Amino acid sequence: MSAIDERRSQFKKYKEDVKDRGKPFYPYAMFHDTVMSLVVVGVIVGLASVWFYTSGENPDTCGGKDSCLLGPRYSEPADPGTTNFVPRPDWYFYFLFYLLRIFKWPDSVILGTVGIPTILLIIAFALPFLDIRSERRLSRRPVAVVAAILVVISMGELTYKGAVAKEALASEVVAAVPQWAQRDGFANDPKAVAGANVFAEGGCTSCHTYLGTGGGNLGAPDLSAEGSKGKGVQGLESYVADPSKFGNTVMPKFGAFASIPAKDAQGKDLGISQLRALAIFLDASKGPK
Amino acid sequence: MAVSARTRKSARRQRLEAAINYPIDWLEERSGLVGGLRYFLFRKVPGDSNWFHTLGSATLTAFLVQATTGVILAMYYKPEPKTAYASIQHITNDVTLGWLVRGMHKWGASVFIILLFFHMARVFLFGAYKYPRELNWIVGVLLLVMGMAEGFTGYLLPWDQTSYWATVVGINLNGTVPFLGPYIAQFLRGGAEIGPDTLARFYSIHMLLIPGAIFALIGLHLYLVVRLGVSSPPWSKEAAGADWVEEQVTTNGRSGLTQPAARSSWRRNGGDAE
Repeated sequence: MSAIDERRSQFKKYKEDVKDRGKPFYPYAMFHDTVMSLVVVGVIVGLASVWFYTSGENPDTCGGKDSCLLGPRYSEPADPGTTNFVPRPDWYFYFLFYLLRIFKWPDSVILGTVGIPTILLIIAFALPFLDIRSERRLSRRPVAVVAAILVVISMGELTYKGAVAKEALASEVVAAVPQWAQRDGFANDPKAVAGANVFAEGGCTSCHTYLGTGGGNLGAPDLSAEGSKGKGVQGLESYVADPSKFGNTVMPKFGAFASIPAKDAQGKDLGISQLRALAIFLDASKGPK
Repeated sequence: MAVSARTRKSARRQRLEAAINYPIDWLEERSGLVGGLRYFLFRKVPGDSNWFHTLGSATLTAFLVQATTGVILAMYYKPEPKTAYASIQHITNDVTLGWLVRGMHKWGASVFIILLFFHMARVFLFGAYKYPRELNWIVGVLLLVMGMAEGFTGYLLPWDQTSYWATVVGINLNGTVPFLGPYIAQFLRGGAEIGPDTLARFYSIHMLLIPGAIFALIGLHLYLVVRLGVSSPPWSKEAAGADWVEEQVTTNGRSGLTQPAARSSWRRNGGDAE
């Protein structure tokens, strides 16, 4: 008997056996299902209640010390002009989010954004055709067991790392600016220092790193020596305004900075836009001396 | 006299039963739905199917919670950049039990995704994706993808900083797909920048397109479950779940039964269903 005939006859026998000697779905299986469904609804209501009663109407209730158990009700209203944000997805995307820390822009980031997710998806769809034996006992499916353990460990690890990924707090980053100016040698250029403050406050370090400060998310490169690449102030300015024109479709556009005037530490208007100051700062960043 | 009274009572009872049954019979004659429901409820499952087998229906419950709370949220939510955030605040802080509905929707999403993964793990470990249930596995993976897409599109709707910037980056990441990337990003944004069109588009995808697809796929998923039957756990000695039958037989104090006898034994215990 060929393999396919054997499977067919096995399934036929299963159908007959279950019909003869199985138990009816109602009430036996349905009882279990109902209990489980009530548990699910109970857990959801419980989570919603804890979330609501440990948070406040104000979006920054969970900011500082009195952080909420399950997070705030909402963050500040969306503002395309303010980039002080942490681009953090919902927890079930953390594994993809963290994967992008492993691959660096621009060479291999596509492996993280497209390559690995696509391969995982193809394997998931093709599983019944990759594993065609009829054996179902775990003790006789070593490959499946090892694969399952590896998937659970790696997804769990990536999700955990994504959850605890270091976030660059604006206050800490701003405090590091004088040190940057010292080490990269632009302390005497008020425009570059103003640009460094825009960089620190604007949330650039949510993704980028600068002399060890910052998130390193989404494959964003370190910018401590960006000025030594010879792009020039003009080049850097137009890059930051619209990175997609230079083939970078991951980085958001920050053209909004062009309409905000840059100020120095004393609040004096420097006569240039924040975008320009940012470009001057990046151009002055020739790497630590 | 007594006999005729009993007959009369019986006749009244018969008329009553006929009156009660009439709508059911009417529906059955025209649709066959009653027979379908009866088939669904009283179909046999393996005797040793257990708590692990409830993960699928638990996932369905979580989805129905999302559908119900989603419909209520849609009555108050205003998908415009200028009003979306305020309407979310209004739902959470002012509307009666609005916090519960939004909280259930927000946390139900996570529970739904977790249960999808647990259900998938159960099917994998039980080897329940094997012949002839391959197609149902594929439908299940599609449902997982749809569920994640719901998470992505729903995340933007509160229109707060977290959701806005996560979506900016999320759309940009879609843009890195070779060749198609820029078109996907353009489609998701509904233009060059994220704005009113993006929000309306995400809202439409989130509450019409994908839920419709999920309902249809769940229908297909359940149809295949009923058609192919529930697989017994891999440790079962036989497909029908020998343990349960043996247990029933032992309670009856009988042993060494052949199949038909075992069959009649469960009928005596819980067989009123058939």
